[in-house]
Amino acid sequence: MALRPVVLRRAPAHSRGILTRPGPPRPRGPLPRTPWTTRGPPPDQLARVVERRPVREQVELDTVTYAGRQYFVPGLARPRFPPWDRGWREPWHSPGPRYEDMPLRKERGCFICHQRVRMLEGVRQAQWLTKTKLVQGLPAKVLSIAENPAYQLQEQEEAVHRAVAHARLWETTEVSPRREKYCPVLFEDLIHLCRSMSVKYPSLARRMLARNYRIAATWERESTLLQIRGLNGILMNSMTPIPPVASKEEILATKDHVLETFYPISPTIDLQEVNVYQELNDTGFKDGYPYSHPHTLYFLESANKRPNRFRPEQLRAKMLMFAFGNALAKAKVLYGNDPQVLEQPIVVQSVGTDGQLFQFLVFQLNTTDLVSNDGIKNLVWIDSDQNLYESAQCVPEVKKRVVTKPTGIYGLQPETFKKFLALYLHGTV
Amino acid sequence: MAAAAALCRAFGALAVSAPRAAAARALVPPPPFPPGGALAAAWRGLCGSTPRCTTDPMWKCRVKYTVRPVGMKKTGGRDHTGRIRVRGIGGGHKRRYRMIDFQRLRYNEGTEKVIAVRYDPCRSADIALVAGGNQKRWIIATENMQPGDLIKNSSHIGRMAVLANEGDAYPLGALPVGTLICNLESHPGKGAQYIRAAGTCGVLLRKVNGTAIVQLPSKRHMQVLETCVATVGRVSNVDHNKRVIGKAGRNRWLGKRPHTGLWHRKGGWAGRKIKPLPPMKSYVNLPRITTQQ
Repeated sequence: MALRPVVLRRAPAHSRGILTRPGPPRPRGPLPRTPWTTRGPPPDQLARVVERRPVREQVELDTVTYAGRQYFVPGLARPRFPPWDRGWREPWHSPGPRYEDMPLRKERGCFICHQRVRMLEGVRQAQWLTKTKLVQGLPAKVLSIAENPAYQLQEQEEAVHRAVAHARLWETTEVSPRREKYCPVLFEDLIHLCRSMSVKYPSLARRMLARNYRIAATWERESTLLQIRGLNGILMNSMTPIPPVASKEEILATKDHVLETFYPISPTIDLQEVNVYQELNDTGFKDGYPYSHPHTLYFLESANKRPNRFRPEQLRAKMLMFAFGNALAKAKVLYGNDPQVLEQPIVVQSVGTDGQLFQFLVFQLNTTDLVSNDGIKNLVWIDSDQNLYESAQCVPEVKKRVVTKPTGIYGLQPETFKKFLALYLHGTV
Repeated sequence: MAAAAALCRAFGALAVSAPRAAAARALVPPPPFPPGGALAAAWRGLCGSTPRCTTDPMWKCRVKYTVRPVGMKKTGGRDHTGRIRVRGIGGGHKRRYRMIDFQRLRYNEGTEKVIAVRYDPCRSADIALVAGGNQKRWIIATENMQPGDLIKNSSHIGRMAVLANEGDAYPLGALPVGTLICNLESHPGKGAQYIRAAGTCGVLLRKVNGTAIVQLPSKRHMQVLETCVATVGRVSNVDHNKRVIGKAGRNRWLGKRPHTGLWHRKGGWAGRKIKPLPPMKSYVNLPRITTQQ
């Protein structure tokens, strides 16, 4: 029943000429009947099939209403007033134009990926949409930075421990901070630690964090039009681009890679299909912006409730999509709208976290020729599900009046921060 | 709204009397309106007192399909006038409604993939989330449905009976005689209304010139057109009838209120009953409707 369009709809109260009460209006009559009952099809369908009856002439009588009395009188009809026109356009109470009348409406639908799209198939689906080959683990260049002790802070492990303890234990006056609180704080603390490397490498100071910026990237993939739109994570820009991670041979080797499909599910499942859209490519920054190269994209999954958070697989898919979107928007600015294999591939990194679990991703945009399935593919390196610490004990665990587990951070894994730092340093050192 | 409701009732009266009217039309021109129903409806529409509505039933009037659970309002067994229509309903754990698609051929034929099989508070059977093409939907799960399975929808009736797997949806004419089926519809394109409870199944008994005769779980026979679509297999949650309620409070969790404690003398309702099966229910002679999407 609920799947059927409802014919009987009550007109809004203001159009019936009565004062609105607080709260939604209550329906008066019984609900529309189940469209298909056990007796057979619904009456209107049956009436359509059975021979058309001549419509009886509607005789307009002068109905006596209680409009003049201005109060309800039993036996008199309810007055019907024309909808009130306030005489000017009030944006809060005027309905906008219909979708059919909007100037941007197009026949061809567009599938939009925005920050709340959770992909059913996860990274595999994002790979197909972005024409990307997946490599597990981080690239050797980043790993060598992570391993090198020259690129590490002094007393790094203590500093990381302090940062985690700050976020998980000390930040709040309550018993334990919520995820909405400690996830951004942990990110700020880790970024602060990374920034302190700029004493050693002054060129690290030429970075800028941007929040609440919007990107728009449009591309076509096998006769479907796709877009990445809107707000996404926190973007760190730099003045210089990251040099390409994969060599020319590796890029050429991606020609043989076959993209995975998942019949019977379409790759565009869970993307939002719209008909009113604009084909736009925009990095979200003005032309003369000095920090014009996207460097790393940080996603904080700080929703407190588990169903509101992205699961790690979905988060990785979102990271891949938006890293690709940023790279594509930048490529369209640099090389124009024509699909081509880029001379200088664009690298965008991405880090996603829910305050404990980290996902690292390096994306390299090799080509903007995305329509066909063959040819050179893009490359992505994903290092997934890295815990920064095992658990944070905010309340000491007491058994039989003996503290068995005092408060503190347990199972700290400094390797995760080394990767975080390596992605920060990548492209500069 | 009142006038529209009256119109709806008038159409309802028309629907009941339609076959009779169609038979009579050959001889005499039919009266413009069945007199009793329409007039009474019109009078009821003019009635001054407005019916009270205890709960807001507008949550049912959703038009667009969604996979997300929809919040429900409890009725407590009351109808739109506020009177008790069904005794013994009230309370219980809060439930959310997941829109089940009973029409397997709603979109197009082809294969779908089962993503998840889960409990549904609104029915005894389990439900399955399936995805195919660009959409996802909930269906009633069959007995052995697992996440990752591929299920097939087909409307083709071939010369040979198909070898159907469990969970596939076929018209009755395409299935071999003796197949266990569930989620049966009485009119083609209407959507499944029969054999949907947990653990039930029907048997396709025989196929007679364009119709199929199915044995319902109640052992009653039903004759439908062979283009009616049914799912192959048995409905999930087979052990539903073996669960132990355990205490009166669990029935209250399920939203069932206790029986009355008033003493009744045992009458004819108590004791063994031997009744012949009701005759075969036939849905064939009613006007054939196909969905006009």
